[in-house]
Amino acid sequence: MKVVVAGKGGAGKTTVAGTLARLLARDGAQVLALDCDANPMLGVSLGAGMERTELLVGVRQGLDAGETAHEPTVEGMMETFGTDAPDGVRLVVASRIDKVDPGCP
Amino acid sequence: MIAGTLARLLARRGRPVLALDSDMLPGLTLSLGARPPDAPPLMDAAERGEDGRWRLKRGVGPVRAVQRYATEAPDGVRLVQAGKVGPDGLPPIMPAIQAYYRVIHRLRRSPAFAAWDIVGDLPAGPRQTAFGWAPYADRFLLVVEPTSQSLLTARRIARIAAQRRPVQITAVANKVRARGDVERIERFLDRPVEVVIPADPAVAAAERRGAALLDHAPDAPSVAAIARLADAVLRE
Repeated sequence: MKVVVAGKGGAGKTTVAGTLARLLARDGAQVLALDCDANPMLGVSLGAGMERTELLVGVRQGLDAGETAHEPTVEGMMETFGTDAPDGVRLVVASRIDKVDPGCP
Repeated sequence: MIAGTLARLLARRGRPVLALDSDMLPGLTLSLGARPPDAPPLMDAAERGEDGRWRLKRGVGPVRAVQRYATEAPDGVRLVQAGKVGPDGLPPIMPAIQAYYRVIHRLRRSPAFAAWDIVGDLPAGPRQTAFGWAPYADRFLLVVEPTSQSLLTARRIARIAAQRRPVQITAVANKVRARGDVERIERFLDRPVEVVIPADPAVAAAERRGAALLDHAPDAPSVAAIARLADAVLRE
C-alpha cells in the first residue's frame, strides 16, 4: 500500500501520516515514512522527538554536501538517509529548507 | 486570520494599509472579509521578454499595480494577491505570480508607499521566507503555537529571516491556553513573546463560516489580543 497525505497547512496532515505509519507498523507492515515537506516535521508526529527531528539530514542536502554518491535504489536511500522511528517505522526526509535561496528542493 | 484582522485594525486606526497575499490559498482574502476574485487580478500585468524571461509590462509598478489590480477589502484595506491555484496547478496563473513577485520587490523602494502599513501573509513554513517573498518587510511577526512542530518551524523561520538582512522579529504566541505555554515558547525561541493571543473558539467558528473574525466576533478575546498587536506595531 502506498498512500500520500495532502491538505491545507494546519489541517493535521502530519499527525495523520505519523499515526497511520505507526499503526500500520504495529499491525506488522514494513513501513517507509517519507517526509516530503520542505519543513519536515513527520519525525515529531512519529515520536522521534523534537531535537532528533531537527537533526535529520534531508536526502537533497546530503547529496548536495557530497557526503555520498547518488543512491540509485530506494533501499540505498533508506539505508543511507533513513532513521529508525518508533514501532519499526523507517523515516526518510526528502529535503529541508534551512537557509536563504536554497535552490529547487 | 491574524494578518487579515491586523490589517483591518490598522486601517481602523487611520492608517493606509496594503495587504499582500502570497499564499496560493485564499486565507487572507477570507480573513479580511473580501471576496476572492474569479481570476488572479495580476494575470495581465506581466509578459515574457524576447529572452523568454518574465517582466512587468511597461508602466506597471507598485503604484499602478495597487491602483489597477488591488481588491477592495473592508475598512479601506487594499489587497494585492499573487493568485490562487486552481485544478490545473501553477502554470495557468504563472503570469500573475511573476507579476506579484516583481511588484513586491519594488515596494520597498517606492516612495508612494513609504507611509503605508504593509501586511503580508506568507504560506505556512519557511519556504517563502527562504526564497525572499517578503522584501518589503522590516519586521517579521513570528506566529507560534505551543506545539513542538510550531516551535521548530518558528525557530527555523527566525533563523532564515535573519540570514537575508537585518529584520526585527516579534514573537506572537497564538492558541495559548495556559501560562506555561508562553514560557515554553520563550524558552525554546530564546526571545520574549510580545503579544499573547488566547485559544479562542471564535476563530474556528469564523473559519468554518468563511467569515472574517472581525465581522463574526468583533468582541472576541482573540480580536482584543490582535488589537494589542496593532497598537504594539504602531508604537514603534
